[in-house]
Formats: sequence, structure tokens, C-alpha cells
Amino acid sequence: MLITAYPLLYVVFASLSEPSSIVAYRGALLKPLGLTMDAYTRVLQNPMIAIGYRNTLFYVVAGTALNISLTCLGAYALSRRNVMFKRPILLLIIWTLFFNGGLSPTFLLVGQTLHMADTVWALIVPTAVNTINLIILKTAFESVPVSLEEAARIDGANDFTILFRVVLPLSLPALSVVVLFYAVAHWNSYFQALIYIQSRDLYPLQLVLREILITSNVESMTTSVSSADTFEIGQTIKYATIVVATLPILLIYPFLQRYFVKGALLGAIKE
Amino acid sequence: MSSSARTIPFRRRRAAASARGSFRARVIADFRRNRYVYLMLAPVIAYYVIFHYGPMYGAIIAFKDFSPAQGILGSPWIGLQNFQDFFGSVYIIRLIRNTLAINVLDIIFGFPAPIVLALLLNELTSQHFKRWVQTITYLPHFMSLVVVVGIMIDFLARGGLINSVLGIVGIQSTAFIQESNWYWILYVGSSIWQSVGWSSIIYLAAIANVDPALYEAAVVDGANRWRQMWHITLPGIMPMIVTLLILRVGMMMSVGYEKTILLYNPSTYDTADVISSYVYRKGVLGMDYGFSAAVGLFNSVINFAFLFAANRLSRRANQMSLW
Amino acid sequence: MRNDVTRRAFLRLAGFGSVALALTACQTAAPSAVPTSAPASAAAAASGAATGAEPLTLPIVSQPLTLPYWAPMSTNVAASMKSYGEIACYVELEKRTGIHLDFQHPPLQQEQDQFNLLVASGKYPDVIEFDWLHSYAGGPSKAIKDGVIIRLNDLIDKYAPNYKKVLSDHPDWRKQVVTDEGDIYVFPFLRSDPVLLTFTGPVIRQDWLDKVSLKVPNTLDEWHTMLKAFKDENANGQGSTLPFSPWFSSIPGGWNAWYGAGAFLEHAFIGAWGITMGFYQVNGTVMYGALQPEFQEFTKLMRAWFAEGLIDPDFPSTDQASFDAKVTSGRLGSMVALDGNGIGKYMGLVKDPTFKLVGAPYPVLKAGDKPVLGQRDFNYPGGGSAAISSQNKHVTESIKELDYAYSDDGHILFNFGIQGESYTLESGKPTYTDKLMRDPQLPPAQAMSRYIRGNFNGPFVQDAGYIMQYYQLQAQKDALQTWLAPSDERQMPPVTPTQDESRRFASIMNDVNSKFQEVFTKVVNGSEPMDTMTGLPAQLKQIGIDDAIKIQQAALDRYNKRQ
Repeated sequence: MLITAYPLLYVVFASLSEPSSIVAYRGALLKPLGLTMDAYTRVLQNPMIAIGYRNTLFYVVAGTALNISLTCLGAYALSRRNVMFKRPILLLIIWTLFFNGGLSPTFLLVGQTLHMADTVWALIVPTAVNTINLIILKTAFESVPVSLEEAARIDGANDFTILFRVVLPLSLPALSVVVLFYAVAHWNSYFQALIYIQSRDLYPLQLVLREILITSNVESMTTSVSSADTFEIGQTIKYATIVVATLPILLIYPFLQRYFVKGALLGAIKE
Repeated sequence: MSSSARTIPFRRRRAAASARGSFRARVIADFRRNRYVYLMLAPVIAYYVIFHYGPMYGAIIAFKDFSPAQGILGSPWIGLQNFQDFFGSVYIIRLIRNTLAINVLDIIFGFPAPIVLALLLNELTSQHFKRWVQTITYLPHFMSLVVVVGIMIDFLARGGLINSVLGIVGIQSTAFIQESNWYWILYVGSSIWQSVGWSSIIYLAAIANVDPALYEAAVVDGANRWRQMWHITLPGIMPMIVTLLILRVGMMMSVGYEKTILLYNPSTYDTADVISSYVYRKGVLGMDYGFSAAVGLFNSVINFAFLFAANRLSRRANQMSLW
Repeated sequence: MRNDVTRRAFLRLAGFGSVALALTACQTAAPSAVPTSAPASAAAAASGAATGAEPLTLPIVSQPLTLPYWAPMSTNVAASMKSYGEIACYVELEKRTGIHLDFQHPPLQQEQDQFNLLVASGKYPDVIEFDWLHSYAGGPSKAIKDGVIIRLNDLIDKYAPNYKKVLSDHPDWRKQVVTDEGDIYVFPFLRSDPVLLTFTGPVIRQDWLDKVSLKVPNTLDEWHTMLKAFKDENANGQGSTLPFSPWFSSIPGGWNAWYGAGAFLEHAFIGAWGITMGFYQVNGTVMYGALQPEFQEFTKLMRAWFAEGLIDPDFPSTDQASFDAKVTSGRLGSMVALDGNGIGKYMGLVKDPTFKLVGAPYPVLKAGDKPVLGQRDFNYPGGGSAAISSQNKHVTESIKELDYAYSDDGHILFNFGIQGESYTLESGKPTYTDKLMRDPQLPPAQAMSRYIRGNFNGPFVQDAGYIMQYYQLQAQKDALQTWLAPSDERQMPPVTPTQDESRRFASIMNDVNSKFQEVFTKVVNGSEPMDTMTGLPAQLKQIGIDDAIKIQQAALDRYNKRQ
């Protein structure tokens, strides 16, 4: 427990410490060295931070919505028995986990053929379905008792009804986990934005933080000169950006945890 | 004959037709029965075709001397040259061995860890405490690798925290980061530390899905908590475990280069250098995209073979498989 | 995919051609509609053929012209600005030439990937500024052959008199800047003076020297005495003294990207024997350091020093943060460091007034020897050099625009900025104002970048006046002079292997470097016996080092033949 918690505390303490002390310090941090909010003010005062948060919020919500809709449909379809083309389709999907074309052709596809570069779509559509999440959800859907499905069919339900009325409510825990995975992936993502987005207006939070981090560690390689002052604060900013980026996630998870218990109860009622 | 044929219910007749009937007849029946299923699949398949199979022609740069200006189709073809370069390296055996070793260790120790954690967490009665433990265990997942490895190097240095603690007990200080023998333990250990909490979430969800009625029945039968765990919880989440295990085996040849580059140094090359870090160094030297594509292709083929084998094994052993 | 792009490009070109035709047809009807730069270049071409390069007149265009300009952004600028267009020197440049530069910047630290994607996309902005020497797969000759950028020789003769003069005044610079075939492909970033080329060297704690009553060492033996004294007399007053660490974060990439032996990569200590950790040349013959008998002696010495506890035992596994901690917490006695981002940084970080650093000379074998190898970059480092893309429709204007930076006025503009604002003349020398050197919010490096490019890079000639003012500490100025001593004729010049050579070379060297780094580290720190090092040359030959040397030799021969 302590071993796990300690490095986290280290990060928090380091972010609150006096920069020059951190640079000279070695070893364990039992408390911040000289309490200062300098790193945080530097980070949060940056005007791009507000834009970054706003954009990321949008990407997370819109992106996850698209993710979940497609993934649920796909996972449900692939979890049904007696679907003739299920195996080949599954194989084709799993194949893409291993073989892909690489950065260049994908970039050309998104940018030139589909004209999505520098738009919000580039951050949402190319990652619409994550195969691992799809498989996880499919596994969860498969464990819904067949008897319930058959009972619903007798009552005249079609597949859509079964999906929404039977399978989904009984798979809430797995569903919440997949929602969490997608949301966090969107929250943390920066590589897609890095290659597709030019307009600073569309920058997600991670990109903004990354920029702050890089520019606060001023080291001009070509002329090998820099200045001491910016160097110092760069160290504590490194830790502060981690905290700023992670804090919101801490709030989401407890919210989703409720569903873990809920699903189990629902199961009993349906039975 | 014809009169009895008319009295057989429609479904039975069609089923009989499908069973002995043509492929075409079966397909039509399938589409009739599962039309909504295929409807649901349509957008998903479209996604994969456009965004994954569309660009897949790029994989041929493994066989080319790729130059961005000439493009993928315009770059000269060099056949298996890239593969020969890779297998011709003096270090090829070592690289493959290290990659596999790290992954095998990670599967043996790192795969069960989140399961165990999830099971233990499930046993906790205090919701409050449970929340705390969960939060603390999954947070490391969000720390960037640079920071994590930086902390590791600092702690493990000769004058660092770990050695100071060992010194108190009278053990001589060792430069762990420079010892080849320690590298695998450090790499896998820190990976487990960083991922165990986050990975346990999916198992917690699977546990939550187990029907509580089963537990009640077991209690009535006089089972204690351990037996409940063994006979109810574990089998209940087995499909998820098997699925994730098969997927994990399908990554047997993949060890990320970022963490390796940060954690290794020339003293530990013989156990630390993996395929991806070697290729990365070559990329820095020569900007050879064809080469990295070729190695990537090789890795993918082996990975897929592993996955296939694991899936087949699983189907034989417990009738559970990915497809 | 590529065919699509070429077809589209062709259609665009054809389309443009027809529009141009239509416009010229209309010329008699509405002369003001046609950009007047067109007839100007026609006239210039005529006069150029007759008289040679025309002098550059400002403004370059009479109608506003916008040129797309792709360039990586320096972190100095990114700290306070969103685009190079905001830098004062570019604002002024636009006023003088009439040409607006539309800057496109890739995200920081993604420059190489973005560059590759740019090239792959087939759509090139008019000017592309990048390290064409090192970062284009296949080298600059291939960039021209692939049709990405154009050959500039004739155009420079006609329209770039200032750049032409710079090259003819400095044939050694010209040699670095052309390809093996003699093609000029960029308007390069050039560092004029030796003081701009040397910025790294051995650094010692002056106060420790005082404490053990020793002078700054010159020979290896004197270094040994000093290091022993540091250790024995506990010069930092605490336990755990580290007399020396060879760790140095030399610029990543290149052929030796490992920092544990960074000091040696900059030729400190090993240079005393006249060899290096990699490739070097003696009178035109390429040699590889690890194969030489002197290398065995060097290793033996380092191994002995390590065994005596004079070298930081963590040297292979330190990172920048730990290293800085060792320096600023007062444990480390000597190292190799940068003048700015080393001496400047540490002296600024440590508030203790007794903490003093001094730059020491590159050590030699015997007293009275002159150091043969130190750190010296070449005038043309590669980065910050602007090329004209093959899709540039305003080649003449672009050439003139870029040429301006090499004129006297342009030189001042890019290095010092605007008189009265960013610099003033003191005894005839441009001196930076307080706006740059004493900005309340920004450190000098960043404040300067709001006005000039002279403190990082760009397509112009860097002036020595910049660095002499940037080094504000006397210790920095002194260190610079000390480090200028080595003659450095043995260094490999910026050769350009062909693409096939590069691939083969990279393959061999990846394995060579891995083996070399491993053996060197383990022999020095004692985990392997000296025999492993004596066996190294044979192993390297097995891996193919001889072929690698041949490749370097071929490239060097071609380089030396350049006009």
C-alpha cells in the first residue's frame, strides 16, 4: 500500500516545492521542500489551459458517445449465437490488432482523402472502435443468460429491443468499464492531435500541457545556451502538469463505481 | 408424401432445407433471421474497412527502401533485404530472448496480480476503505513513464533511498540499475506496480456481474468466503480472464521501446535490449522506415501465431475462445 | 496514392498556366491587375544573363506577396509567441521587403515526423526550413533528385549577390554547404567565428581547487593528482565526494547517442592520444577510435581511475535530473559541461557564493603538448537552413527575400534586431539593450528571441557579437577562451553518404555501437576484465566495422573533392 502511494505523494510534494531545492535534492521526499504554488500558477495562468479543458471535454463526451454506440452494436452482434458470418468477421477485426499500414497511409487517408485534418472529426472518427474494448464488451454480453433472450423473443422482441432492454441493463458493470476506458483514452490522448491538428483553437488539454512543459524547459540545442531561472521551474512544472491532468479522472471513477453494484442487483430482479 | 410435407410446420421444413440445402439457401436464412444483427454490424465493419484496411497497403514498406518523397508506391522494392538486415544482426538471439523473457515474466506475475487484487478488494466490507484503496492503486497508471523511471533511477542509485534502507539492515549497496541480473525484475515489477490497479477494474466489473443468488445459495450450503470465491466468483469471471489472457499472449513479441530506452544503459544491454529499442536506435541513426516496418511485420506475424495457438488451446481445454 | 498527388499537382500547374496566359492576354486592358513582379523578373532575367547577379533592391515586390514558410519553432520563441511572424526582426523584414511570410510551425518536438508527413503529402510550402543535411532520408542530393527542393546554383548567381559573396569569401564554408555534386540546396545557418563553434569543455569546481591548493590541471597526470586530492581530502567537506563524472548529455542522435561517456564523446581525455570514440580522420584517411592501440591505453587509464574511486560509479545510469542534483548539491568536483547551459545554469542555480566553476583546458599527455582534439562544431551545423521547394511559384522573390539576411543590413537585423529598440551602438559595436538582457519576466534567451533569431538559428550568418554578450559571467568568457585551444583538424567534416551507403552504415553501426558501449562501460567499471577490451577490435571487425570505415572514407573523399 505504502509502496504504491509513496511515488504519488512524491509527485504531489514535488509539484508544490521550491524549484531550486528540488533540483539539488536526492532521495525521498517526505514533504514539500518550501511550499509554493508557483508551478501551478505558471501552468494554470496559461490562457491556453481554458481552451484545452474545453476542447478535451468536448472530445471526451462526443468521442465516447460515438465509441459506445458503435462498440455496443458491434459487441452485441458478435455475441449472438447462430450468426453465420460471425467468425470470419471477428477474425477480420482481430487481424487489425496485429497488422496495420502505419502512420503515413493513415495520415494521407484522414488528411487528404477524407479532408478531416485540422477538424474535430480527426480526433473522433479514426478511433471510433477499439478492438480490445469491443472484445471485452462482447465477452460480457455473452454471459447474459440465454433464457432471458429467448423469453424476450417469445414476447416478440427483435434484436434492438433485446439489446436495449435485456443485455445492456444486465451488463452495466462491463459497460461502465468500457465507457471509462474510452473516456480516459480520449482524456489522455495527444498523439492524434499532434499529427492532425494545426489550429491552436482545437488543441486538447494534453497538448497544451505538453507545450507548457517543453517551453518551460528551455534548452536551445543549437546554440547550447539556456538560463538558470526557467530551468528550475521547469522541474516542478513537470510534476504540476501531471496533477493537473490527472485530477479530473479521479472524479470520474467514483461516479462510475456506483454502476458496479447496481448491475448485480438488477440481475437478481430480472431472474 | 406431399400431403405429409404440407403438414410439417414451416420452420421445420426450412430448417431441414437449410441443413441439407445449398450455401445460398443458408445465407438467405441467416440474413432473414439476423437482419438486425447485420444492420448493427454494418457501421462497425465500415469503420474497420475504411480506417484499418484502407491504409493497410502501407505494410508493404517492409519490402521497400522507403523514402517519404517517393511515397509508398514509388519507393524502390528491395524484397527481403530489410528482414535480412534484421536477422543478420549479431544480437538477434539476445533481442528475441529478452523480449520474450520480459513478456513471459509479465504474464506469469503481472497477469494474475490484478485478478488477485480484484478478488481481495471484493472481500472488503468497508466501502469507504475499498474506494480509497482502489483510487490509490489505479493512480500510477496516469503517471508518465518519464516521471516513473526518473523516480526509479533516483531511488535505486547507489546513494539512493533503497540502498540507504538496505544499509540500515547492514546490506551493502548495489547499483541496481546497472546490474543485468536485476533488470528484468525491475522492469516487470515497475510495470506491475503501474498497471495492477487499473487492470483490476475490469475484473471488479466482471465480479459485480456474478449473480448474487449464487452466493446466497452457497451461504445456505455452509460455504465460507474462500470457498465462495473459489467456486463461484472465479468461475464466474473465467470467460473474462480467458479472453484477456488470450489477448495478452497475442502481445508476446511486443515490449515498448519508451520504457526500455529510459530504463536501460550499456551495463544492462544484454538483458535490457529488446527488439523495439534496437530498432529505435537504428531509426535514430538511419531514418529507415522500411526497416522498422519489416521488424514490425515480423513481430505481428509471430504475435498472431501466438494468439492463434492460445485460442485453439483454450477452445480445446475449456470451450472458450475468442472466435 | 502518389500518382493521384502528382496528377493533381500537374492539373494545378496546368490550371495555373492557363490562368497566367489569360492574365497576360488581359494585360493591355488592365495593367494594374497583373502583379508587377512578373515583368520585373523577366527584366531581371534578361539583365542577369548579361551582367551577373543584380544588387538587391528594396522593396522586393511592389504588390503584397505572401510566401508560405514551414519551419520548426525554437522553444525560446514558443515560450512567449505563437509564430515567428511575431518576432520583431520579421515584422521589420516585411516592412523592408514587402513580402509577408506565412509561417507554418509543426508542434514542438514533433518536427521530424511532421517533416516526413509533409514530404509524403506531396504538397510543399514555398520555403521549407529544416536540417536538410541530416534529416532527409537519403541526404540533400536525394532531396533534389526526388523533386522536393530545387537546385539553387544558377538562381543564386543571378538573384542572390549577398549569399554569393559570403560563399566566395569563405570557400571552406562553401565546401560544407554544397552536395558532393556541387549543388547548393539551402540558404544555410552559418556560424562565423570560432567562438560560436566551441561551447563545451572540462569544468572544475574552482573553490575545491583552492581548498586542496592546486592549479587548474593541464596533463592527465595533473588531473589524476587533482582528482585524488579531491577524494582524499574530502574537498566538499561532506562524505560521498564524486571527483569526476563523464556523464554529459551531448546532443541526442548522431552516431553515439549515449550520455554515460558523454565527456569522452566531446573528446575530453581521449583526445589526449589524438583519437576519438568514433570516426575521425588523419590527413584524409578515416580511422575508428576503438580499433587503435591508443584506445586500449585510454581504457586502462579510465579503468584505473574508476578503481581508485575517482569516477562516479553511477555514470552509465545517470539522467539529467540526477546529474544536476549532483552538481548543485555540491557532490561533484569536475565534469564536462556546456558554457551556457552548464556553467551558466549551475552558477545561476546555486546561491552559495563559494560555488565557483572554472573551465579547464582539454588535457594532454605530456606537459607542453598542444591539445589536438576538443569540441568544435562546423560552421554549417545543418539545422535552420531554408530550401526552396519545387512547388514554389515565386522563386525569384523567395531567393531575394532569403538573400537579404546575408546582406550587411540583413545581418544586423537578424543578429541584433532594430536599432534603438533591441540594440544600440556602443563604440561602433551593436550592444543588446536591457529589453533583451534584463527583461523582468523572461530570461535573456527567451527575451532575445522576441526580437532576433541570432541566438538560436536560421538562414543567416550568426555574429560572434551575440555570444560574447550572452555569456554574462566572466567564468564563461574565460572558459570559452580556454576551450578554443585544440586544433581539431582530425574531426570528420559533414560528409554525406548516399542512401544505400547510409542504410548499410546504419545497420553495421547499430551493432557496433551496442557492442562498443557495452564493452567500454563494463571494462571501465570493472565488471569485465581488461581482456574483453583487448578482444574488442576483433569483434568489431567481425560485425563489419571495416565496411563502415570504407563507407566513411568514400564519403570523405567525395567531400574533399568538392569545389
